[in-house]
Amino acid sequence: MAEINVENLKVVYRGVILALQGVSMRAGAGEAVALLGPNGAGKSTLVRAISGLLPQYDGRVLDGKIVINGQETQHLPALKVAGLGLTAILEGRPIFRYLTVTENLRAAGHKLTPQRQKELTDEIFTRFPRLYERRFEQGGYLSGGEQQMLLLGMALLTEPRILVVDEPSLGLSPKLTEEVMRVLDELRRDKGLTLVLVEQNARAAFSIVERVYVMEQGRVVFEGTAKEAQADADVMEFYLGGAVAGGFAEAKRYRRRKRWV
Amino acid sequence: MDLALVIQTAFNGLANGALYAVIASGFVLVYRATSVVNFAIAEFMLIGAYLTYTMSLFFPLLLALLLALPPAFIFGLLVERGFVRPLLGRNVVAVVMATIGLAAALDGATLLLWGPDQKAMGAADVFQLPKEMPNLAFSLGGVFLSSKAVWSLVLALPLALLLVVALKYSRYGVLLRAVSESETAALAMGINAPRVVAVAWGLSAVMATIGGAFLAGAAGGGGPGHHLILLGLIVFPVAILGGFDSVPGAVVAGLFIGLIEAFSQLYLESLLPGITQAIPFLIVLLVLLFRPYGLFGQHRIERV
Repeated sequence: MAEINVENLKVVYRGVILALQGVSMRAGAGEAVALLGPNGAGKSTLVRAISGLLPQYDGRVLDGKIVINGQETQHLPALKVAGLGLTAILEGRPIFRYLTVTENLRAAGHKLTPQRQKELTDEIFTRFPRLYERRFEQGGYLSGGEQQMLLLGMALLTEPRILVVDEPSLGLSPKLTEEVMRVLDELRRDKGLTLVLVEQNARAAFSIVERVYVMEQGRVVFEGTAKEAQADADVMEFYLGGAVAGGFAEAKRYRRRKRWV
Repeated sequence: MDLALVIQTAFNGLANGALYAVIASGFVLVYRATSVVNFAIAEFMLIGAYLTYTMSLFFPLLLALLLALPPAFIFGLLVERGFVRPLLGRNVVAVVMATIGLAAALDGATLLLWGPDQKAMGAADVFQLPKEMPNLAFSLGGVFLSSKAVWSLVLALPLALLLVVALKYSRYGVLLRAVSESETAALAMGINAPRVVAVAWGLSAVMATIGGAFLAGAAGGGGPGHHLILLGLIVFPVAILGGFDSVPGAVVAGLFIGLIEAFSQLYLESLLPGITQAIPFLIVLLVLLFRPYGLFGQHRIERV
């Protein structure tokens, strides 16, 4: 049972900025769910809240619940949340830049026995031969794609049951993005993970998730299967960056009208 | 030039330098872990020296020094928990002012606890055990080394080097470097960052105790006194010269400054009285002109 339930979550930064205004979402055991939406929609805030890292960003949960594996976690510190088997890969590819690839993996797998650590490290190097080639180099000198692979490897070494990944495609070429998504999907299936994937690149996300939440301005504005989202013209046009006939002005007008309906 | 005298001076310089190295590497460790410049480092030395003194009332000196280390470690943990942790993430100036305040408070506390008079290590002899450390002084071909110098080389230098190696290769070392880079990323990976940081403060207090006890004269006469606080200032040029965030740098810089001081005492002091105290700071000024990162400072990773 590795599932997340978020109920009516409200999050505030510095006591005044309301970043989430009552968000509900869920990811069942072994399910892959995507959180989509434009910049500033509150996706990363939701990731921080789920992983217990809000205090690091001067934020706190104002109201609502986060339930992970049956336990309420909205006020638990990050370490306790990690102890429940949840690992978050935050946005901006937060590897340890001054540590070598091997050291990065070692830091992530610090709780494992040396034997288990070696097994998993070998597995990661088999999955990502490029990381093996560059294992003695500092993480900061890897390319964006390699850093993303390293992060996935690090996450694997924490032996998660729930993996939350924030914008893995950021700054990557379409080909690399495709590769990252493929690996993510593979990992999820091999390890039976529950996956929460946060993305702006909706098309990339659709390929590997079952359900989709679209967020805007701190709210969930659409919830459905990946197929339903792709079939929904509004979602495709306005939240997920489809082209609208008539250009930007027309899109804005259409959007305003929609909001009032 | 008298070769024996030069060799002897070099050894004495290295012996003192080893003490600087051990104190500065602890200081740098704390800076790496928390980005806090601990202006109370001299007081850490002072308290370590007094703890050693207190233990030396009951035990032989070498044992007293070893027994002073666990309470010193706990003292470091307490400072981190009660004083540093609530301030982390605040304005840098606020933290700096706080450590200066801490220094003044600790000064007062030692005065209250141990009184203003000079103490001699190993004054009492409860169990009729030998008070002094085993005498390691030796003379070889006109080169004489005092017991204190040999002891500081034997104890402090390996400890400083051990820290360098542990930081590079041990599990804790890797975690500390990870936390020093990004506490948030470390927490996200389930690394117990608060504990890693607390241990760094504890270790720093242990290193300061060893340096402080020796500089206060643990290995032969003298006793802890407030002159230690002036001696503690040497940590700053050593750390800056080493690159401020580099433990190996602090070790090399400590030894280097120890050597320079010893030779300046030998050759320059008669020409320019007082130059020995000033010389570490002059060297730092010169080095910073040409190497702003110090000798071993971490260069920023920039991908082009």
